[in-house]
Amino acid sequence: MNAAPILNPFSLFVASIFTSNILLANFLGMCSFISISKDMTSSNGLGMAVTVVLTITAALNWVILHHVLIPLQVEYLRFIVFIITIAAVVQVLEMVIDRVSQALYMSLGIFLPLITVNCAILGVSLFMEIRNYTFVQSAIYGLGSGLGWWLAIMALAAIRKKTEKSKISPGLQGPGITVITIGFMAMAFVGFSGMLAVQ
Amino acid sequence: MKMSPEYRKAQENMQPGVITADGFLGSDTRNIVEIIEADEAEFNRLGMDFDEVAAQLRHLLNEGRKGLDEPITVDKNWIVTTTEARGHLASPFEDGIFRKVNATIQRAPGGKPEGPSLLVSDLSLHLMEKNHFLQGKDASFRIEPHVVKTVLGL
Amino acid sequence: MDINFAYFIAPVAVGGISAGLAALISVTDKIVNNYGDIKMDINNGKKEVVVKGGQPMLFGLAEKGIFVPSACGGRGSCGTCKVTVKSDVGPVMPTEIPWLTKDEIAAGVRISCQIKLKQDVAIEIPEELFYVQEYQATIERITRVTHDILEVSCKLPEGKEVTFTSGQYGQFEVPAYGKVKEKTMRAYSMSSPPSDKNRLEFLIRLVPGGIVTTYVHEHLKEGQKIRVVGPFGDFQVHDTGAQMICVAGGSGMAPFKSIFQDMIDKGTLNDREIWYFFGARTKKDVFYLDWLYKLDEEHENFHFIPALSEPQPEDDWDGPTGLITEVLDGYLKDTIDPEKEKEGYLCGSPGMLDACMKVMSDNGMESEKIYFDKFA
Repeated sequence: MNAAPILNPFSLFVASIFTSNILLANFLGMCSFISISKDMTSSNGLGMAVTVVLTITAALNWVILHHVLIPLQVEYLRFIVFIITIAAVVQVLEMVIDRVSQALYMSLGIFLPLITVNCAILGVSLFMEIRNYTFVQSAIYGLGSGLGWWLAIMALAAIRKKTEKSKISPGLQGPGITVITIGFMAMAFVGFSGMLAVQ
Repeated sequence: MKMSPEYRKAQENMQPGVITADGFLGSDTRNIVEIIEADEAEFNRLGMDFDEVAAQLRHLLNEGRKGLDEPITVDKNWIVTTTEARGHLASPFEDGIFRKVNATIQRAPGGKPEGPSLLVSDLSLHLMEKNHFLQGKDASFRIEPHVVKTVLGL
Repeated sequence: MDINFAYFIAPVAVGGISAGLAALISVTDKIVNNYGDIKMDINNGKKEVVVKGGQPMLFGLAEKGIFVPSACGGRGSCGTCKVTVKSDVGPVMPTEIPWLTKDEIAAGVRISCQIKLKQDVAIEIPEELFYVQEYQATIERITRVTHDILEVSCKLPEGKEVTFTSGQYGQFEVPAYGKVKEKTMRAYSMSSPPSDKNRLEFLIRLVPGGIVTTYVHEHLKEGQKIRVVGPFGDFQVHDTGAQMICVAGGSGMAPFKSIFQDMIDKGTLNDREIWYFFGARTKKDVFYLDWLYKLDEEHENFHFIPALSEPQPEDDWDGPTGLITEVLDGYLKDTIDPEKEKEGYLCGSPGMLDACMKVMSDNGMESEKIYFDKFA
């Protein structure tokens, strides 16, 4: 197994938010990104939820990978096991959100359990495994990716709100112009790529 | 076919025993989006417009109220019996509540009834206008396109 | 055979991890969903109850014997269980919005089956709800009175008594049946008099596609146990001595049967002029004719006027014909004393109520003195 990369935690943190944004550079986590960005309050809530899930699952999955799967020599089970932990964490988060803010719970609706199959969540855990992060690096990467996802969805929601009243040709209205917008956002972020190392 | 959460919830609400005893789907096995699309095509083929037809049926239903729960001749060409029961019904699309007003409408040129009769309700007309939903095959309140064409004489 | 234990490691590992996570979920559930006990302050301290938290307000109240009327049993599909909430219970849910007007929302009116009890609350409910109880009644007798109306008589358990004012209604609950998967409740006026303390009687008309009326007409059996909650409603006789102009159609007869029998029991039937108009289409739609004709004969001040709008030749009808509104109009103009004070009492479908109210006000009756059964 290769050694863990030598990375400045702060630069890893900044990199995971901006230069290697999980949504705009890696294009992971698209489905809820496109649907929920219709509404700014829900986007805010979902962004928060995704950040919490990402941080917890990245850390938890690291612990399970290095202290259960590797010692037992069953790393090949990581795909199943990562998904199981993500599902459990999302379930717990759902219960907590329902308790704390029923309005948020209702507005997120089906998208809360959909976080489980959000590829960004599994993607972060797998990146953590492939790049051989340490525990601290995993947690930072998870937190940073979450914040990056949150930032991207808020930015898209803001852009969609601003362009609500604009004249858009009928064929492009709705999903069409949204995906084009995401493309522009991604292009802007491409400019940052490689500036800070993530592995 | 994949349905949005709103349509899926509406289809659940249309099951028997949720809002009405028999539900809104009759013996139809298709999902509601398929039913709507098929009926839209049928209306197109028959040259009918949903808004116009709904407006005319609503006019007949309202005129029928003058009969105070008994049959009455409307506009010299139809016999309408409009009845009302206590309480309200929720729309399966969760977009409003409606009084339980029903009307049987039959074409009757010169006062003599002929042809099929159509059973409509305040709610079924709302579903027709807002969602182009005419209800499932064999549902008691289904608005069958060719029956509407005959009854309204279009 | 040599079993290589290495084969078991994978499933055991996955199983073990899943079990650990399941335990975590379970523990969180116990912590997060445990709302403890909730204090409910009702009508500014008039009554205080403590209920288990986490459940909808409607059920919390029912637990303590306070029955807010509900037609759908708490599923959020009828909008009947309105309660004015004085404390903060969170924002109005999308499931409540179709049932509330802007004014109601501003006044704090909420749909109580959609509010989860998470913290102490203060609410306001109509006084009469304090007198509402639930009864496990047994169906004593089912009699057919017309082709689509059944008279359903229920006996209350030994020693249990009901107190109500004639004109009020009860919520009648039927169990799940056929394709209907849940219990459903509907409101019906009591046709039995209040003097009958151990019995409740209802007139139930079959509504096409109606969940409860279909059950009553096709499945209800004598000897069966039925849950009834009541009494509700503010339709009642006003003790003013004014002439009573009563109009009913079909199952609208129910509250009047209770009212007239009540007046007979109390000996007040002779105290005022009573005009009872009963409208129907043909002879087979009218009922209780013998009883009502008898009252008309025996009491000078009681006038029974049945009117058929389309009597059939075989009906052999020689009574008034025409729409009940026309007959009513005729009597108000020609027969009923215009000088003496009049009060209107109406029970029937909203279309009939509107038409009768118009006839009454066209004939000089004040709209505040026209009372009708409002639970539509």
